Amino acid sequence: MTVFLLLPSLLFLLVVFVGPLFRYAWLSFHADSVMTGLIAIPNGGANWLRLVQDQRYWQDLGQTLRFAGVSVGLELFLALIIALLLDQRWRGRDLVRTLALIPWALPTTVMALGWRWIFNTPYGPIDYFTNLVGIGSLNILGDPNLTWMATVWADVWKTTPFAALILLAGLQTIPVDLYEAVRLEGGNPLICLRRITLPLLRPYILLALLFRLAQAFGVFDLIQVLTGGGPASSTESVALYAYWNALRFLDFGYSSTIIMASFLLISVICLIAWIGLQILIPTHSKSRGVIKS
Amino acid sequence: MTLQIQNLGRSVGQHWIVRHLNLHVEDGECVALVGPSGCGKSSTLRLIAGLDPVSEGEIILNEANVTHSSAAKRAVGMVFQSYALLPHLSVFANLELGLRVRGVRPFDRQQRIQAMLELVQLQDRANVLPAELSGGQRQRVALARALLRDPDVYLLDEPMSNLDAQLREELRPELRRLVLDRQKPVIHVTHDQHEAMAIADRIAVLHSGKIQQVATPEDLYHHPETLFIAKFIGRPQINCLRPKNGVICAVRPESLFFAKEGLPCKITAREWLGSSQLLYLDSPEGFLRLSCSTAVDIPEAPHVSWDVSDEHHFALESGHRLP
Amino acid sequence: MNRRFLIALLLLWSLGPLLWQVYTSFCSDQALIQPFVSNDHRWTLIHYQNVLNANPPFWRYLINSLIVGATSTFLCLVLALPAAYALNRIPRQLSVLTRLALVGAALFPYVLLFLALLELARALNLGNQLLALSLPYAALSQPLAILLLNSAFNDLPPELEDAAKLEGLSLFQRFRWILIPLISPATASTAILVFLFSWNEYPIALTWISDSNKLTLPVAMARIAGSSIYSVPYGAYAAATVLGSIPLVLLVLIFQKPIVSGLTSGAVKG
Repeated sequence: MTVFLLLPSLLFLLVVFVGPLFRYAWLSFHADSVMTGLIAIPNGGANWLRLVQDQRYWQDLGQTLRFAGVSVGLELFLALIIALLLDQRWRGRDLVRTLALIPWALPTTVMALGWRWIFNTPYGPIDYFTNLVGIGSLNILGDPNLTWMATVWADVWKTTPFAALILLAGLQTIPVDLYEAVRLEGGNPLICLRRITLPLLRPYILLALLFRLAQAFGVFDLIQVLTGGGPASSTESVALYAYWNALRFLDFGYSSTIIMASFLLISVICLIAWIGLQILIPTHSKSRGVIKS
Repeated sequence: MTLQIQNLGRSVGQHWIVRHLNLHVEDGECVALVGPSGCGKSSTLRLIAGLDPVSEGEIILNEANVTHSSAAKRAVGMVFQSYALLPHLSVFANLELGLRVRGVRPFDRQQRIQAMLELVQLQDRANVLPAELSGGQRQRVALARALLRDPDVYLLDEPMSNLDAQLREELRPELRRLVLDRQKPVIHVTHDQHEAMAIADRIAVLHSGKIQQVATPEDLYHHPETLFIAKFIGRPQINCLRPKNGVICAVRPESLFFAKEGLPCKITAREWLGSSQLLYLDSPEGFLRLSCSTAVDIPEAPHVSWDVSDEHHFALESGHRLP
Repeated sequence: MNRRFLIALLLLWSLGPLLWQVYTSFCSDQALIQPFVSNDHRWTLIHYQNVLNANPPFWRYLINSLIVGATSTFLCLVLALPAAYALNRIPRQLSVLTRLALVGAALFPYVLLFLALLELARALNLGNQLLALSLPYAALSQPLAILLLNSAFNDLPPELEDAAKLEGLSLFQRFRWILIPLISPATASTAILVFLFSWNEYPIALTWISDSNKLTLPVAMARIAGSSIYSVPYGAYAAATVLGSIPLVLLVLIFQKPIVSGLTSGAVKG
């Protein structure tokens, strides 16, 4: 009886999550493009070989990793600060929390246009300020060395509130007595942070980290609208490359290969991140007591 | 409309929660199911109600075998320990839901609920939410709900355990009046053996998922079948002397008295309880409790003794009664 | 005070870019080119006029997004509520595994699914239909919805359902009278989060719908942006941005409690 309750949902889930992975795996070993008249013809590992030798892919991969790493690192750092700020109770806290949530609620593409204008040279406010400060006009959206930073900034702006909320949820599960006990023993805020907050917050940090890492790796909306992948493909992401291969070049076989490779890479990266976090923030300290002299 | 349980058992995986349960409850009879926590009392009730599936055995209600029918079809009225009142519905709506679902017409529903509320003396609380009621009032609503069902059997799962002692004493006769007047079999689960003895016609003692004995309170008290029952029933607890030759001898505290000859002992503590007193004694046979009236004088060098006929003998290994 | 400064910084950072768009949307083209120069011909409503009178008119996109959002949310709940209930009634190991799989699916960047979903749309002729979008959206929000609703069901005292069974209520009746009313806060949170997701979704809406009358808001905005990188009517963009943001800002302000509690409990359970 209960099976019937699960069945419809399960069906949708399988079709949408599991089906595609099998399809991609299968398609990646076939040639399916305009050349083949859009019929899938098995071609062994030719797509994969092509992928390994594809300069553009490796460049995109590097760019995507750079984007994801910097973006997520910055986000978590800022999110922790914001969460600590919002954890205490002060007047207007709820309103500030809600207002801080607005960037997350807006569609990426909607604000992307806004960012284009903000980073615009010579008419945007950023340009005005860089001139004011004496750096001069930086052609942020036109300089391949700088554009990726604009994308990171826009991404951090949008997703930090979400990460902050997750960390805030975690902070609120930590009993206040712990901090008070440490303070009685003579600990300072930094020790509190290292020995109490971070270890107890670790599962939440992990959740935020894995979630954001996976999402950032698949960045699509932001890049397509803010920079179009440019200038000179310097901000192009792996997802965008896969998209173009499918919808612009009509090479579905190769696109599948890119996607499949990306999926495998994300899984590996998440695993590494998980292990890395366990090492970075140990929950079992070998030293006796919280305060190490 | 009798209830009969034959060889009832339920297992989860390899572990048997209850097994070999045999019980027969007559119309208008109240059988109390007692035992320590985790012995399977509530599980038994759930099996009878149809909330858990039966692994072996039969349940026969009103000559019909209901072992595998669903809870809804069994015509069972149950009062839960937490009362299980729907928090988002008023008292009236809580009582109405079951009737509505069973197809009773609005006018009839109104009538019956009104009558029931008067019976449990909650007429003026009809539109109140459960959160605004006291514990005793909530219990009455839960009871009213079961009564409205007009079931073939009443199952009460520790209905008094959330109430304080005084309220319990006050509500006991009322509970009897409301439920037992319906002339249907009643099973009352409780961990309080005092309550069981006060309210039940017969008591079934459960231990580790098996019924050790079913008897009237008097029989249970004077002829316990196992050591466990002897120790469980009766406050203060029965005295167990040191085992000899694989036999444990047990004597009730009120059977002990001071005599010129007997076990020498030392009084370690004394509890004055109003009409009676409880003395804690240290003796060569071990730690003893003696219960007597406050009028009795306590001798200087006390010796304690008892009638041999007041002794209960149990086998050391099995705990079973020896003739 | 140190804290006040941080709060001010936070608000400036969070709302600054959006407020800049508001400012820009009221600036005439002339003022845009010389932003910080005082100007008599500074303020104008012409950008809003252009956006609202365009073909198709801007509010069309809002309606489209609303239709998709509403149907997706409804479908998602219809699928997830029974599944969330049933998750507690399957053998222990199976439910632990399922929960883990759901968490994995919730973390997964769904963008990567666009190709397979596009093929699906083509195969089943679902392209260019707003209501069809609710199918993938409902499916993609299942993991989060099931996890949130399941934890809400778990918090209910089991005796409530037992009592209801004894009263003779069927499964459907129990859902209607007891289970669903009692978890309404969690349902509200889930609904709003799913709605937000559907409203903001881009890659699938992009690939499934090309008819300009049927575009959802994010796709429409991107299309406006994609017309050209140079000589771009930024005034009109700003107006479009503001118009596109208003519904969401209102949504967040009105539904802040369910949103925050939904994300918070999702984090705790994840």
